[in-house]
Formats: sequence, C-alpha cells, structure tokens
Amino acid sequence: MSERRQLALMLAPYLVGLTALVLVPALVTFGLALTEYDLVRSPVFVGLDNFRELVRDDVFRRAVSNSLVFAAIAVPLRLGAALGLALLLHRRIPGVGGYRSATVLPTVVPDIAYGLLWLWLLNPLYGPINTLLGWGGAANFTWIGYPLPQWLTHSNDARAAIVILSLFTIGEGFVVLLVTRQGLPAELYDLAALEDVTAWSLFRRITLPLMAPVLLLLLARDTIFSLQATLVPALVVTEGGPPLYSTTYVPLFVYRNAFEYLRYGYASAATLLMLILTAAIVLVQLALLRRYRLGNG
Amino acid sequence: MSVSVVSVEKRFGDVVALAGVTLEAREGELLVVVGPSGCGKSTLLRCVAGLETVDAGTVRIRGRDVTGIRPAARNVSMVFQSYALFPHLTVGANVGFGLVVRETPKEEVRRRVAAAVELIGIGHLVDRRPYQLSGGERQRVALARALVREPDAYLLDEPLSNLDAGTRVEMRTELRRLHREVGATMIHVTHDQVEALTLADRVAVMHAGAVRQVGTPDEVYGRPADRTVAAFLGTPRMNFLTVGDARPFCAVPDGAEAGVRPEHVRLDGEVPARVDLVEVAGGDAYVHLSGGLVARVAADVRPVEGEDVGLGIRREDVHLFDLETGRRVEP
Repeated sequence: MSERRQLALMLAPYLVGLTALVLVPALVTFGLALTEYDLVRSPVFVGLDNFRELVRDDVFRRAVSNSLVFAAIAVPLRLGAALGLALLLHRRIPGVGGYRSATVLPTVVPDIAYGLLWLWLLNPLYGPINTLLGWGGAANFTWIGYPLPQWLTHSNDARAAIVILSLFTIGEGFVVLLVTRQGLPAELYDLAALEDVTAWSLFRRITLPLMAPVLLLLLARDTIFSLQATLVPALVVTEGGPPLYSTTYVPLFVYRNAFEYLRYGYASAATLLMLILTAAIVLVQLALLRRYRLGNG
Repeated sequence: MSVSVVSVEKRFGDVVALAGVTLEAREGELLVVVGPSGCGKSTLLRCVAGLETVDAGTVRIRGRDVTGIRPAARNVSMVFQSYALFPHLTVGANVGFGLVVRETPKEEVRRRVAAAVELIGIGHLVDRRPYQLSGGERQRVALARALVREPDAYLLDEPLSNLDAGTRVEMRTELRRLHREVGATMIHVTHDQVEALTLADRVAVMHAGAVRQVGTPDEVYGRPADRTVAAFLGTPRMNFLTVGDARPFCAVPDGAEAGVRPEHVRLDGEVPARVDLVEVAGGDAYVHLSGGLVARVAADVRPVEGEDVGLGIRREDVHLFDLETGRRVEP
C-alpha cells in the first residue's frame, strides 16, 4: 500500500467526523439562514430577510458589541495570566506539580458545574467573594469605602464577573506555553547569565520574542474561544442581564432565538454573521503572525 | 596564572561529577580538556563560568577568587556546542548582544562588532538570521560574539562537535589561528582526541571526574601517565600485553603490564603471527593479528588477511603500567 494511501486511510475517520459533525451542519445552517423556521412547521424561504432584520436588531447589535468588548478585555488578560503562570511554574521546584495541576483544574470542570459554582461565589448575600470584600467595612461597603460589587444585578459588575470567571479556565493555553518555555534552549539562558542580562531584559529580549509565534497562535485561538465560550456563564450566572441584555453575548442571542423564541432561521443567520466576524478577526491576527514568523533555525 | 581551579568538587545528587579537580590554564594558553562523555569536563567548564556552583574548592581568574561570584562578574565568554544563537536576531545583533545589554554606547558597539566579524571573516553575513547560515558559519558567529567582549578567558564547550568532518577540520585551523592572533587564555573542552592533540598548547585528560594528566600533546601521547590516558589517546587504541604475552618481545617486571601503540608494532620482526583482519582507513591500515595485537601500517604496504607475518617491538616503544594502580612505571 502506498504511503499516500496509508495516510489517507489514517485521516479518514477524522474526515468522516468532520464532515458529519461540522461541514454538514454548517451547510444546513447556511441554508436555514435563508428561511423562517420554527422547528415545527417546514422552513419557508425568505431570502436575505433574516440578515436585514439582524442589522436593524438592537439586541443583536448589543450582543455583538458585548462579545467584542468581552474578547478585547478577556483575551489579553487570559493570555497574560497563562504566560505569567507558565514562566512561574516552568522550573523544577518542590511542589510545582501541584501548582500546575491547580492551574489546569478549573479548565476541566464541566461548564455548567463551573457556572453554578460561580453563581454561589458571586452571591451578594452569602457569597464568599463579597463576604471577603466586605471584611472590615460598613454594611454593603468594602473597608476602603467603596460599595460592594453587585455582580448579579448591576450591568458593569455583571460584565466584570463574566470576565473574571473566564480568567480561571486558562489551562490549555497554560500547558502550551509551559511546554514552549521548557522547549527553549537552556544555553540561551546560560549565555544571558554570562552577559549580565537583568530579569526584565531577559523577558523582553529573549523569552518573549522566542515565544511570540506560539503566543500569536494562542491569541487567534483564544479569540475564537472567547467569542464562543460566554454561552454557559451568561446563561447560568447572569442570565443575559442585568438589566436587560448587558451580558447578552452572541452565543446567548443565538441560543435564545433558536430554542426559546423558536426562530431557527434567524439564529442561523446570526451564527453565520458571527462566523464571518470571527474569521475576519483571526485573519488579521494571522497576517500579524506571518510578519513575526521566525525561521526554523 | 590566568584561570585555575583548586580541589573543585561537584556532585549532582549521588553522582560525583568532579572529584577534587585542580587545573590551571596559563595566561595566553590554549588548554584543551579532553575525556570521554560524562567524565566531568563540561561540568568543570560550567563551574569556571559560574553556571554551576561548586560544592568545594576555589575558582580563580587572573588571580581573583571568583568562586562565589555570579557568572556575569567573572568576565569570561563561552561558546556552546549548540552555538546558542538567538534565532530572532541578526548575526550583527547576536554578536553585539553582550555589549548592548551592558548598555555600551551604540557607536562603540558598531565598531567592536565590525572588528570582531572582520577578524572571524563573517563580515558579509551580518544582516542574515541564524537559520540562513550553515553550521560552520553559525559557530563563527558564536566565536565572534565571544571575541567582541574582550573577556579575561574564553571557555569553549565542544564548539566543533556539531560540525561535519570537513568543516570541523577547517574550524580547528581557524581556532588555532584565532588563538595566535588574540593571544587570550582559552579553555577548550572536547571528547575528540584528534582535536585535542592538534589544537592544544597543553592537554588535560579527564576521566571519571578527575584530571589524570596535564601536558603538551607530545607528553600525554608519548608518555601517558597511566593506563587510562594511554588507552584513551590514539587510534586504534594502545595494545596491552601481560607479562606472558610480552615475553617474546621484552621482559616485563612482575605486577606490571606492557603497552604498545599500534604504530610501534612492526611486521618485519621474528615473532610469528597470522593476519586476522585488515581495516583500511585512507592512508593507514589497521592490521588485527592473532593473539589480539593490532598494528598500524601504511596502507600501501599492508599484508593480506590470512598472511603469516613476523612481529617486532622495540624495547623503547614499550610503556609499562602498574597492574594494580594503572600508574606508569619507568623501566
């Protein structure tokens, strides 16, 4: 059997799965986006009506802007946290295995369980976060005199809560960056030690440039992730509010239209627009990545 | 005296890497430390550089005790086997790296980088990136980077080991020329005995974390201090004969064994032997004889396999080693 054939055979199971689970549903979504469909009656072709309505829909526009603001804040913070922890925990020090596991652990908790846990953590009456923040202060105030955050009832606090809870699910990026850092040649750091390089200079001149290609790939990957991953927390913790829509992100908008309002065609159109937007953002990032790409030396 | 280590010990867990090493590289000398893999030679170099702390003993550079001092304050340059070039920097930036991080004025960096790349002959490569260079060119860049700092000593850790055979020979000559021009103290670590013998002013032979002999290439090859040094240097390796085996050639005192280099086993003598196998290595032939002796002769006068020959060994070509201690015994 030729090598080409062997490779094709090995690839086949993945291709079958990709076709059945991604490509076909994507094509169906594309078709449904051009229809009015309530999951009960047969779809009715409406042309581009769904897209025209979406462009005028205030809730959709807020959902898009919420999603973009969330990604713009959460992605750099998530990457920064993953990078910082990877640089902190790449050395072989006693107990480092435990710290690494602790970093990865929140990422493997199922989304719903993670959301319910945060619902308890953020509870304004008996949640540990506000209990801690209120320590030593007057009722409903922190000890430095600021009012306690109203995570579940105030719009900006709720948005912050969604960002904060996303900062602990950085296990995948952390693992990739940890391995990347461990893969950097030790001699480069020996050389730096002989050349009197300060810690900051070492990071800026050596570590960061050498890790940049991987960081930029993670940037693209985390952007895609962040634009999708808000569904469960927004659904379980903040319920898209408060008040009305302040944490309604595109995934929640799609979910509600599809399964609560039974507007499957409309939800499909929103999905497609989000896909196009995501692809555009990632393409810009990849163009940047290409500029920074290093040789294989 | 330029670089010296005195009774330096280093352990990694239960493994003793350096067992009380004392060694000195004199001012302006090219000292080559040679030994098999794992003998502690790279650890020794890293202890001199300060990249490893020593468990006991002292390290001195130009008379100054640097044992507890951080690497950057020792003013040494190091060249690594893997070149250790920064892939994101150009050749010029790599060479000037040490000057730039020490905040040397830009004009001076430019001038000194230009001088260093000129000396090494890589002036035409300054704008390239490491991945665009061959192995030999990369190692030249690493050498230029070591030179540009004008350190008190150069530490070279197997700098030629990643190069192909041809480039290695070329770079060996280059290193020798460079040492003559710069006149600095260099400690060069290698596992390659040919490299050690051709390059060095003096050779230090290491084995199992200890220095077994220090001397000129002629001394360590011609008068090995012990059996280990004798066996390590020379291709093929020295023949060792028991009292009984050596009897037809010369008298060996009890409690000693005889060592004879293959090039000193003559095939025009009287002791009968049969040729088992002949290996031709270019101009030389290694003749494996019945009884286990190996002779090295010019390839154009080699015998054929199965041929009967007469062996001869001159008394003055025989080295004697104590059977118990392995130390050289003078006849």
